[in-house]
Amino acid sequence: MNQQTLLTPVVRMEHISKHFPGVLANDQVSLELYPGQVLALLGENGAGKSTLMNMLVGLYRPDSGSIYIRGELADIQSPQDSMALGIGMIHQEFMLVGNMTVAENIILGLRDLPFVPKLDEIKTKITELSQRYNLQVDPDAVIHDLSVGEQQRVEILKLVYRGAEILILDEPTAVLTPGESRDLNKIIKKMLNEGKSAIFITHKMDEVIEFSHKVQVLRRGKTVNICDTKEVTPRDLANMMVGRDILFSLDRCPFNPGGVKLKVEHVTVNNPLGSRPFLDDVSLEIHQGEILGIAGVAGNGQSQLTEVITGLLPCSAGKIYIDNKEMSHATPLQIIRAGVSHIPSDRGAMGTVGDMSVGENLSMKKYRTKEISQGGIIKRSFMRAFADKLIKTFVIKTPDQNTCVKFLSGGNIQKTVLAREIDSCGGLLIAVYPSRGLDVGATEAVRQNLISQRDKGNAILLVSEELEELQMVADKIAVMFEGRIMGIKDVKETNTEELGLLMAGTTTVRRDA
Amino acid sequence: MRLAVVKRDTKSKSMAVLIPLISFIVSLILGAIVLLASKSSPLQAYSAMLKGAFGNARRFQYTIVEAIPLLMCGLGVGIAFRLKFWNIGAEGQYVWGAIGITWVMQFWKFLPTFMLLPIGLVVGMLLGAAWAGIPGFLKAQWSVDETLTTLMLNYVAIGFAEYLYINAWKAPYGNMGTPEFPEEAWLTQVWGKVHSGLFIALALVVILWFLLYKTRWGFELNMIGKNPRAARYQGVSIKTNIVLAMLISGAICGLAGSMNTAAIAHRLTKGVDSGYGFTGIIIAWMAGLHPFASILVAIVIAALKTGAESLQIAMKLPESMGEVLQGLVLLPLLAGTIFIEHRLKIIKQEAQ
Amino acid sequence: MKKLLVLLVLLLAITSLVFAQGVKEAAPKADEPFKVGIIYISSPGDMGYSYMHDQGTKAAEAYFGNKIEVIRMENVPENDSAARAMEQMVDAGCKIIFANSYNYQDYMLQVAKENPEVYFEHCSGYLDNPNMSNYFGRMYQMRYLSGMIAAKMSPTGKLGYIGAFNTPEVVRGLNGFALGARAVNPKATITVVWTNTWYDPSLERQGAVALLNQGIDVIAQHQDTTEPAKAAVERGKYAIGYNADFRDIIKDDHVLVSTMWNWGNYMIPSIESAMNGTWKSQSYWGGLEDDMIHLSPISPLVPKDFQAKVMAKQDEIAQGKWDVFWGELKDNTGVIRQKAGEKMADAKMLTMDWFVEGVIGTVK
Ligand SMILES: Nc1ncnc2c1ncn2[C@@H]1O[C@H](COP(=O)(O)OP(=O)(O)OP(=O)(O)O)[C@@H](O)[C@H]1O
Ligand SMILES: [Mg+2]
Repeated sequence: MNQQTLLTPVVRMEHISKHFPGVLANDQVSLELYPGQVLALLGENGAGKSTLMNMLVGLYRPDSGSIYIRGELADIQSPQDSMALGIGMIHQEFMLVGNMTVAENIILGLRDLPFVPKLDEIKTKITELSQRYNLQVDPDAVIHDLSVGEQQRVEILKLVYRGAEILILDEPTAVLTPGESRDLNKIIKKMLNEGKSAIFITHKMDEVIEFSHKVQVLRRGKTVNICDTKEVTPRDLANMMVGRDILFSLDRCPFNPGGVKLKVEHVTVNNPLGSRPFLDDVSLEIHQGEILGIAGVAGNGQSQLTEVITGLLPCSAGKIYIDNKEMSHATPLQIIRAGVSHIPSDRGAMGTVGDMSVGENLSMKKYRTKEISQGGIIKRSFMRAFADKLIKTFVIKTPDQNTCVKFLSGGNIQKTVLAREIDSCGGLLIAVYPSRGLDVGATEAVRQNLISQRDKGNAILLVSEELEELQMVADKIAVMFEGRIMGIKDVKETNTEELGLLMAGTTTVRRDA
Repeated sequence: MRLAVVKRDTKSKSMAVLIPLISFIVSLILGAIVLLASKSSPLQAYSAMLKGAFGNARRFQYTIVEAIPLLMCGLGVGIAFRLKFWNIGAEGQYVWGAIGITWVMQFWKFLPTFMLLPIGLVVGMLLGAAWAGIPGFLKAQWSVDETLTTLMLNYVAIGFAEYLYINAWKAPYGNMGTPEFPEEAWLTQVWGKVHSGLFIALALVVILWFLLYKTRWGFELNMIGKNPRAARYQGVSIKTNIVLAMLISGAICGLAGSMNTAAIAHRLTKGVDSGYGFTGIIIAWMAGLHPFASILVAIVIAALKTGAESLQIAMKLPESMGEVLQGLVLLPLLAGTIFIEHRLKIIKQEAQ
Repeated sequence: MKKLLVLLVLLLAITSLVFAQGVKEAAPKADEPFKVGIIYISSPGDMGYSYMHDQGTKAAEAYFGNKIEVIRMENVPENDSAARAMEQMVDAGCKIIFANSYNYQDYMLQVAKENPEVYFEHCSGYLDNPNMSNYFGRMYQMRYLSGMIAAKMSPTGKLGYIGAFNTPEVVRGLNGFALGARAVNPKATITVVWTNTWYDPSLERQGAVALLNQGIDVIAQHQDTTEPAKAAVERGKYAIGYNADFRDIIKDDHVLVSTMWNWGNYMIPSIESAMNGTWKSQSYWGGLEDDMIHLSPISPLVPKDFQAKVMAKQDEIAQGKWDVFWGELKDNTGVIRQKAGEKMADAKMLTMDWFVEGVIGTVK
């Protein structure tokens, strides 16, 4: 399997530079990808990985440098150009059109499409391909109605439908559950066996080891290392990326819970469209100075649980208390006033306003307070000082605080949300997939941050799909399945197998009343 | 070979200046072609238009008078537009403003005369606000599409005004129109034709600028407009703000209507639906919803109108030519804004 | 924001250029033609009201030749634009300005007061000033004659009238038509529909269709389109034209007759008096005797002997022996509005807001 012996690389990028206002995103980066090879592209948040790949698919144009595809100089001006060269990319942020069907999304942007496309033929081809790669999706389903995992499958179908031979995968598993990631990885392996080549961006070290033949590490827009995967350990990789050792261990005070901060009592949230409710008689409690982890496969009611607590979703039955005050039907604003912070699962759609500046986004929770405004008037100088402070403490990589959030790298957008919510936490912090899209260093920092919030006496509800993370950070873990709590376990008294069983819903343990 | 419009990697500042300039030149050239085709000299025509708009103090005053209601309607719809609430009902709200002040002038006889004007303006504002509040409420409560409701409500308002000046409130003698307002209750003129409404309009610009760019409420509107889900998540009530923004939007358009009626026609009569509300949409759009920029855009659009009028006299061109030229200037300017964020690209045909 | 600044600078630059050019323009020469301004509510191409005015303007142009220069503005809305239009005409050197629509009058009065050296002529209103006259014609006289013809030709005696707006002018014309019809057929009824438009072809056609659906067989109208008449003729019913000769336009003898204006007969003497300085302010209301109005040739479908009867009535009016609103008048609620032997004063006619007996409909 050593393709390095083949002389012509399928992709060769030479001395590519790309400049954005205030940042040099890529600085003389060169890269080679050989047929049948998987290259893992690593680097901390904002290192320039996505930018480099976006130039390969024609979304951006390099300021200087050249790109050779199969040995020939290529002038890639648009995604259509790259498609014609057999290059396909799964982007870090979803690129599907929400209110169109799967089939429509797949053919969208195809250049040689007849004016009136023959949808039936297209659908048969989609069905054929989805069987071949084991990617079950209904071509007529509307994207809105699909889960994140299914949407990711559509993205892959898009690639194979278009006959991509060179795959670029920008953190494809970041939004997936461990199970979904495994499935996706199988599919990708199958495609590689057919002779396709791939560039793979990820922050998950085990994926790097499992998949790639070669690793290239970027730091601040420059290549800092290229090596064979066989020669490195996860620890080496982490070190190369952030330039220091990652400890993978966290400091914490002994568990010393205070009074009850949040109490959820028999809460049910009906699903107007589906047969079973989103949440079915859910009860839990979080004490001050405690981290309650919520485990479970995505789509089993976790996001509804956080939204009903934060007032974004109406509560059909049951009661919610914050500090012993009933808040079952409070508005989002009342919840915020009660000192609740919330890191939502989707940083782009809910967590930030892409067209507003980093400074404004950082102020969105506190603009009502004296820290930023006076008598209804926003003090720009206060806002500036406040935002600068957060940018520094949370190491958000941005040219300045006036840059629009949408121009930040994925991980830095996530950091913006984290900074705002963790900073404003006034007793209860609800964190949903907080480390999504973060590099190893930032992930470590966030986990440490959550623990120090706990040590300060805040209550934390942490939703995560990674058992490992929960076991590392949480004091107790509740497992959700089909809208119900299957059990709440003390971290020290449970193990991965037991939690795994609960997550699958096939429990021998009776559900708590 | 074919052309494609491609998004630029970054917003270019120099383009933001260059493109309107180029668009403007393009529109002048387009206009020149049309003028030449109808056998008139473009240079003469353009100079006639400029003279018509700014040629002497009187013409300049008229251009300002024309710009006042345009500016106010532009400001009004602009507030709703910030929320991506497509209020195309400014025309109807304007008409309600005119109805409101007429109602006060004609029937609130118990008021001392000097109170008629201020109270009339306020009532006009309130009626405009109420009229705009209807689609706002429908949208907030039941997500009824606002483009349709605001548009339809225009015709209801215009029809009702017609009923009033033709039937219910018609002056006892004479033809169409309600009785003239008492002269003491007219809006005073401050410089030739320019009436004191100018100060109200300019004050409004400053107030709105402050409201939108300096206050918490402005910040919230910005959030809602750019990402309503994020705004709701941050505790901003979208429903309340839609209704609130529409009330303010309608109040401003209503004030434009009552002010202009007290300044110019002095009665409710034909011509109350002069299209200021519709043109206000263009103003808000071209000004990028910025209050100060709206002043300049309103003057440019007013000048186009007053300028085009003089074509008939100076060049003996038909009235329709004036409208064609106005359109030709607007079109490239509006289209040009696309190219600030996009660029044209030539795609070579691949050999097949 | 910035782009607008640039725009403004550009505009200013061009303005200064234009001003520079403006300075070169010399003061008016002594032997320049006498300038006449004309403002139309619609385009003379409408074949209606403004068209007839333009016929008058053309008559004046033919009469004075190169002694006058006419500046026309068409489609001028009835708002501030009207004032601007008139002032531009003053600026362009017009010595007399005509405007042909009712709602121009406030604006004309305002401009007239500010420009005492210019004469103003307003058609169809009632305001005046030492330098502003108003003028109109007694169209109701023609409507009376057309009403006679309509009643004569209608098998059912059910006539229809498409009203524009409920202004005294329209009401008066309709009453004239009704009186003429009932003079021929005392049982005739005249059903009114209002369109609240002067010019809206499709709406006005709808009005006619609504009447025709009720079994009405002659359609008369006050608007500037031929659509109501066309709708009637298409169904084989009769129509009465207004402004232009509809029989010429539609090419169908079912158009029985059209009532028409001769605006030139007022405009020519007015311009002449302005040129030689004898112009005087007046409220002019000319009728048949002044040849302000006339009937088109009558359709051959109308019997010759009846045509003669109509002409005889026309002579009677022209000679001042009789007029339409003379004698006892009852309104359509049965109230006697004028006693036998009385002649209606102009002031009453100019504010008429009731319908005579036989009219089905209300003014409001
Ligand atoms: N369109 C843009 N305009 C301005 N700056 C941009 C734009 N796109 C990216 N950048 C900047 O370029 C730098 C590199 O961003 P990039 O998205 O490539 O990072 P990344 O390596 O993919 O990071 P992550 O792991 O967080 O996704 C960042 O500083 C980012 O702010
Ligand atoms: Mg990235």
